[in-house]
Amino acid sequence: MTAIAAERYTGASIKRSEDPRILTGAGRYVDDIKLPGMLHAAFLRSPLAHGLVLSVDVSAARALPGVVAVLTGADLEAMTVQAPDPLLALFTTGGPTPEFTLLATDKVRFVGDPVAVVIAESRYLAEDGCELVEVEYQQLPAVISAAFALDPSSPPLFANLGDNIARPHSRNEFGDVSGTFADADRVIDFHIDVHRHQNVPMEGRGCVASWDADLAAMTVYAATQSVHITRNGVATRLGIERGQVRVLAGDIGGSFGLKIGASREELAVAAASRHLGRPVKWVEDRGENLTASGQAREESFDVRAAVSNDGDLLGLDVKMVIDTGAYPGLGTMVPDIMQAMLPGPYKLAALGFESTAAITNKASYVAYRGPWASETFVRERVLDLIAKDLGLDPVEIRLRNLAARTEPPAVMITGRPLAGVTTNESLERVAQMVDFPAFRRRQAEARVLGRYLGMGVATFIEAAPGPRGPDGALGNESMRLRLEEDGIVALFTGQMPHGQSHQTTLAQIAADEFGVPFEQVRVVVGDSAVVPFGLTGGSRSATMTGGVALHGARQLKAKVLDFAAYLMEVSAQDLLITDGNVWVRGDPASAIAVSEVARRAASGQFGADVEAALEVEATFDGGEGGWSGGTHCAIVEVDAETGIVNVERYVAVEDCGALINPAVVEGQIRGGIAQGIGAVLLERSAYAEDGSFQSATFMDYLMPTACDVPRIEIEHLQTVPLDADVNFRGVGEGGMIVAPPTVVNAIEDALSPFGVRIYEQHLPPARILELIAAAD
Amino acid sequence: MADITLRVNGATRTGSPEARKTLADFLRDDLNLTGTHLGCEHGVCGACTVIVDGRAVRSCLMLAVQAAGREVMTIEGLAPDGGGLGTLQQAMWDSHSFQCGFCTPGFVMQATALLSDHPDAGEQQIREALSGNICRCTGYQSIIDGVLLAAERNRER
Repeated sequence: MTAIAAERYTGASIKRSEDPRILTGAGRYVDDIKLPGMLHAAFLRSPLAHGLVLSVDVSAARALPGVVAVLTGADLEAMTVQAPDPLLALFTTGGPTPEFTLLATDKVRFVGDPVAVVIAESRYLAEDGCELVEVEYQQLPAVISAAFALDPSSPPLFANLGDNIARPHSRNEFGDVSGTFADADRVIDFHIDVHRHQNVPMEGRGCVASWDADLAAMTVYAATQSVHITRNGVATRLGIERGQVRVLAGDIGGSFGLKIGASREELAVAAASRHLGRPVKWVEDRGENLTASGQAREESFDVRAAVSNDGDLLGLDVKMVIDTGAYPGLGTMVPDIMQAMLPGPYKLAALGFESTAAITNKASYVAYRGPWASETFVRERVLDLIAKDLGLDPVEIRLRNLAARTEPPAVMITGRPLAGVTTNESLERVAQMVDFPAFRRRQAEARVLGRYLGMGVATFIEAAPGPRGPDGALGNESMRLRLEEDGIVALFTGQMPHGQSHQTTLAQIAADEFGVPFEQVRVVVGDSAVVPFGLTGGSRSATMTGGVALHGARQLKAKVLDFAAYLMEVSAQDLLITDGNVWVRGDPASAIAVSEVARRAASGQFGADVEAALEVEATFDGGEGGWSGGTHCAIVEVDAETGIVNVERYVAVEDCGALINPAVVEGQIRGGIAQGIGAVLLERSAYAEDGSFQSATFMDYLMPTACDVPRIEIEHLQTVPLDADVNFRGVGEGGMIVAPPTVVNAIEDALSPFGVRIYEQHLPPARILELIAAAD
Repeated sequence: MADITLRVNGATRTGSPEARKTLADFLRDDLNLTGTHLGCEHGVCGACTVIVDGRAVRSCLMLAVQAAGREVMTIEGLAPDGGGLGTLQQAMWDSHSFQCGFCTPGFVMQATALLSDHPDAGEQQIREALSGNICRCTGYQSIIDGVLLAAERNRER
């Protein structure tokens, strides 16, 4: 009756289990939640970058029919408690701690800072109510640049700090920095800027909060990357126990780092629901998303490079300033990661790294896909600039400086071993695919005709999860696995997928390891009362969650086999599970379905000596870990008359170890590249000198479209296996990390006849024309 | 409030929306058709695209009262008789077209209108026709491939 399943799901582009619901409009996103008696919230936001709040008059708004409540900063302050944010506590340590309220009380600190929330019977009425709230402000000088923020004369945004420093200046040295610079043939200085841009998931932030006064319990339907971190945030600010809060999440319309924890608005909505005893929904509109959800990057780097005349990059000395916007966020953790990652896969022998984080009157810093990405931008830009100075080819300078793959592996000057890193191989493969000599000939011919083609390469490595250290690779990941009575293998994971396809990929791994059809695995996510703690982020899920699915399924299988052995009166060693059936090796007629085994186990008719609970709690520490990485190449054409850049060809050679689902992996790579192309050619979160926000619509914040992103050619390198079982590595962030330097390097190459040198990342047409004009 | 009657996904529906209520909000709130998504509410991202009298429109830029007497098709109306996925939806599933799924209904409706008018659309025409729909996850290639596959399958039938 049973066939031995020979096929493996892992490694195949299995069609996604998520798609049938998504393609029919049956996905359930947070704005699709409707609860009985549900009210709607809208926020009144500051029109000023920096100002004192002199008075807030809500009487007219409260009088509007359909408005149920209008809450000010003072109201919310009385309903909530001041406490450290659990998300920040998880990722940042020490440093200045600004005191602030959920809604502005004494002052506003950026355009979009929430000042009051109107709760009404519909969103339309809530927005009507906002129109009727009268706020009197006294404008203060806006601290709009990091340079001004670090000037002691700038007005402090937070009275309790006394200055605008989010992270005090620090300097660290690795290797002999002063000796390396003293002995170098040349020392070259650069100033490199990375502009402010942002996540922009197609679904903004939002939640429905529902307080049950009888049970003293809060349920929050959230769009979040971690139901537990959101739960902890809500419990902390509401001053209740974590066990009183349950966070549920369904489908999530993208995030890219934005939706972690509980935002000030979401906390205000939860407090309002408790105050009113009714469910309250808030879903931000695009204007709120662009203005107030948070923004990323905006870093500047003073770079000194110690270089030999042959093109060896001997040392870097980098001074970094990051503009973290108004309210505390994860921006203060970024310099540490950049410092650790700056050497990349290269032999760099000395690194000095200084950093400071500034507080400014702009939207608060949020993590955005590869938050430390600018280390790759700086390094790959510097390599091209040095190559130009020395007359070297960009491939040649990289091959010259890359660390060789040796055993034991080379160690980054900042400490981590480059175990299994295949950057050399990826660069050589890209060179084959693109045929650089042929491109150079075509480039020369085109220039004669006044056409400017350029080719750029860049390499990266990503700690996804990174090599094993003293504490494992990337913490621990937990999963509960259970064989249900209907034969379903249920995986309970704290991962909160928002496009990453975990309901497919984790099922592939568990189906193979346990021995059931793919359709017989159910991946349960999005309920803080049911799933273990987890977070989808940091490209961790392939290794960490893929790994715990593999080991957990193995443990569950052993448990099921032990019980089946008791039932079938054979030794567990003689039993197999394939295609959903347990059978005695060599005797296919003995097969019984795993559902039957589970039903027997659940009957309760066994003594205490029989382990009939077919459930395991598994954890995984990342095993031997490993790096993801690769090389990208872009070929662009720049129109020197209009400044328009066309990305003609884009090639990516990546090594993320063993692929779980190639189509999912390639979707992640392409999506990251598209965001990187957008960051360079289109996207910028723009502020005027007075701190007013200038990119609050999609007519101003330009997103890449199907006409801006080319077909992307992808090849995968075979991994160097480091672990006996788990060699899947994360691939979520690499595209966004390496695409910006790839594209900028190509643009500079295209403009080399003009002598253009590029020290920035945002290159819209107007800026391209300025660069050409300035170089002429 | 105005009483309106329209046809949605082949069925006659009535409602009394406020004059200012958008078609998108009417579909989502009054008719519980939450498959239509709102991504920008200013007509740029295309997530809310539905088909009105055979043409793809932005339901965030159209008032519900303007739909009175018209034939509206949403993502929920694409299922073939007997349920399941239509040719385009199946091709998009086969092509791994989408990730988070939020932009999906708009792309599916826009591409449905495109293939209805231009069954032989090639890659460049598809890219241009879908350039008013924003996807943040995929880089578009998988979506384009899904539409091309659907066009090919339509021709083979």
